[in-house]
Amino acid sequence: MVMMSKWMWRLTPLCFRSHKNCPAADSGIPVLAMKNMSLCFPSSIRTLPLLGRVVFALWLAAVVGCTTKAEFSQNAVYILKQERELDAEFSDQQKRDLAEILAGMFGTPDAPNVPKLGDVEIAKVLDATHLHVASGPVSSDERGRARGLYREHCAHCHGVTGDGAGPTASFLNPYPRDYRMGVFKFKSTPEGGKPTHEDLKDILTNGIPGTAMPSFKVLPNNEIEALISYVRYLSIRGEVERELVYLTADLVKGERLLKMAGTGRSEQAASLREVAAGVVQKWIDADLQATPIAPPDADRDLAASIKHGRDLFYGPIANCVKCHGDSALGDGQKSDYDDWTKELEPTNEEALEQFLGLGRFILPPRNIHPRNLRQGVFRGGRRPIDLYRRIHNGIDGTPMPGSFVLKADAPAGTKGLTKDDIWSLVDYVRSLPYESISRPPVIEQAYQRERL
Amino acid sequence: MTKQRLNLESPWPHRLAVLLVCATFPLIWVGGLVTTYDAGMAVPDWPSTFGYNLFAYPWQTWLFGPWDLFIEHGHRLLGALVGCIAIAFVCSVWRNDHRFGMRAAAFMALGLVIVQGALGGARVLLDERQLAMVHGCVGPAFFGYCVALAVITSSKWKPVERDVAKSSPQRLHRVAFLTVVFVYLQLVIGAQLRHVSVMASPGVFRAAVLFHLFMAVVVIFHVFQLLLIVKQHYGSVTPLQAPVTWLAALFLMQVALGCAAWVVKYGWPEFIAQYSFAAPHTIHAKSLFQSLVVTSHVAMGSLILAFSVTVLARAVRLVRMPTVALGSSAFILELAG
Ligand code: HEC
Ligand code: HEC
Repeated sequence: MVMMSKWMWRLTPLCFRSHKNCPAADSGIPVLAMKNMSLCFPSSIRTLPLLGRVVFALWLAAVVGCTTKAEFSQNAVYILKQERELDAEFSDQQKRDLAEILAGMFGTPDAPNVPKLGDVEIAKVLDATHLHVASGPVSSDERGRARGLYREHCAHCHGVTGDGAGPTASFLNPYPRDYRMGVFKFKSTPEGGKPTHEDLKDILTNGIPGTAMPSFKVLPNNEIEALISYVRYLSIRGEVERELVYLTADLVKGERLLKMAGTGRSEQAASLREVAAGVVQKWIDADLQATPIAPPDADRDLAASIKHGRDLFYGPIANCVKCHGDSALGDGQKSDYDDWTKELEPTNEEALEQFLGLGRFILPPRNIHPRNLRQGVFRGGRRPIDLYRRIHNGIDGTPMPGSFVLKADAPAGTKGLTKDDIWSLVDYVRSLPYESISRPPVIEQAYQRERL
Repeated sequence: MTKQRLNLESPWPHRLAVLLVCATFPLIWVGGLVTTYDAGMAVPDWPSTFGYNLFAYPWQTWLFGPWDLFIEHGHRLLGALVGCIAIAFVCSVWRNDHRFGMRAAAFMALGLVIVQGALGGARVLLDERQLAMVHGCVGPAFFGYCVALAVITSSKWKPVERDVAKSSPQRLHRVAFLTVVFVYLQLVIGAQLRHVSVMASPGVFRAAVLFHLFMAVVVIFHVFQLLLIVKQHYGSVTPLQAPVTWLAALFLMQVALGCAAWVVKYGWPEFIAQYSFAAPHTIHAKSLFQSLVVTSHVAMGSLILAFSVTVLARAVRLVRMPTVALGSSAFILELAG
């Protein structure tokens, strides 16, 4: 047996890290070497007979899927970001403290915990029973009550930590959502607001057309509820982690977030809880923040409204054309990045290299493209009120801006859009798939010059 | 009929071997469903089902209970059925065939079933995905082995119309053998794709996908080489014609199914997604259509393995160098298994 395992070991050094971190890098034969990943056969393979090579290849295949215990990973990108700003490194002790505090508050992927936060009614957004059902390894009992829903349905894309870097992520565009920033695209609340319960439910039941995010219509309602809770849990955990990292960066050298003993310890714990409470409160508030929508005037002249919307689209105030392009094919501004990617400072080569060097779970940056509005495919929903919300609130985490909406009593001449303007834009956007593409857009000449 | 006489006239070993193949095929299929629905742990104990004896589990609960319990328990029942057929097969070979090689081959089939069952049980008891992987790898190997048994016991096998090869048969044998090996490897890699741990990094999955695509190219190359060799040089060896044609046709279908499986699970790749027909595509997780496509892809993989094993076994049997003596069937089995 020992002989056997020794032999296997000699054949093992394949690794899925960057080539330079690979222990077999100099003794192996790289078979696949890519960004963040290399796969080496040991040199000894050359001397193996054909049968040996086949056996080895089989064994290799079996190891590829080798399992590790599910654990939350640390937000290495954000830590590095703070370190770069400080020009100093976090000590190992500080990193351990971060992990420990988070584990204390939120538990582990197998045993999540709902922290007690005094007055903050955390139960409104995190339900312990839901979390129990959604977490843990995949299993179910005789009555078919499932556990491990998140790992069954979501983790291979969104990652166990919710960092959007699950195994399948690198093939998907857009990448799966990294929940840890607490930023969501398709929701009914204003910019910066959290999604409401209803928003998350819509996403889970309808999916996001044109992306890899599936519809989970087939799941029973209670499982959807559990998953919603778990998405919130991962987001809250991720946001608290960011706050803690930020606080750690503020500490005087040698000081710790969590004193192990002595005076001030309980104050410290209380202030940490306050940090978490602040994050949770925003999620609780979200359900009351949905942008109210006055329905459009049902008797409006649709043709005139579309024409007005079109003028706005190409006009200087809404300026949709800047990104969505002259023919609304989404080919205006194609060099921007979304907020999750901007964390890696994609335009700063030196920084980017450092971030990508953090390991195998950092996905290379890709540009975000404005939507092609001529296909009539809307990821956040195709109902007029969905479009109204997108145009009114913008799409968080992306360059798509919200509108500056004029109050009813705004003095004449103030730059901005009225509610009717936004409905006109909605009408226009909805008519775009049917508009002939060859009809040259009416663009104000002066504005055209200014834009260029 | 004395015990010593070779009773090659009995149709039973062949019938049972075919039955074994027919029962194993859905077994792999249902096994695939178990992974698709992550039902592996739907029943936490083994060999009992929630404390019941495997066969005594109330059928109402099984048929009308939760879906993952349905497929996991069904998988176990089918597995038990395959075990029984394997026992019957061993008995019938023992009665009808005194050749050591054949008897050993039959026992080996039974042994494999037992090992496979134990692996499945251990996977449940230890809740270890690595074992699920091994269990999943042995499945198609066993299936390929059963196909070989069915080919060997068939009546077409017995009249040894040794075809004296015009060109060297070694190339045919080599390509047929490599086809089996690569098809099997491809099945194993495919299983890895489906089992990849959620803790794995994007690079691991990426490597597995690229490996799967790479192997698809390798298999294409071998399958069509095989088709070419058979059609060009061995047009007169009739038992080879149908399986090799099927092999090529199924393989093309398999490529299409593979692409479809990707699209229903992960959406269109970027360079296609921009076109209007692809843009509105929404993935429906765990929908009937999705699991149909994915499971067909898996099942088709086994079918391709079956045909490649058939081609190999027949090629080794029927096409020989004139000087080479007839090898024992055990040798063929060794190649085929
Ligand atoms: C096949 C991969 C895949 C799976 C499986 C998947 N997602 Fe997603 N998900 C995505 C992608 C890709 C996006 C990003 C879409 C975008 O940015 O437009 C996303 C986005 C999201 C969002 C953010 C929506 C927003 O408004 O910003 C939520 C919430 C979400 N997924 C939850 C889930 C949950 C819960 C599950 C499991 C039940 C799940 N996802 C399973 C790929 C996946
Ligand atoms: C700064 C660039 C920018 C500007 C200006 C802009 N957009 Fe966008 N828009 C985007 C991007 C980027 C997306 C894609 C966001 C994503 O990842 O889902 C988008 C998406 C959209 C969508 C798709 C929403 C969905 O549910 O799929 C609509 C509709 C839209 N924009 C309309 C408009 C309108 C109307 C205007 C003018 C008021 C406008 N945009 C101005 C960048 C812009």
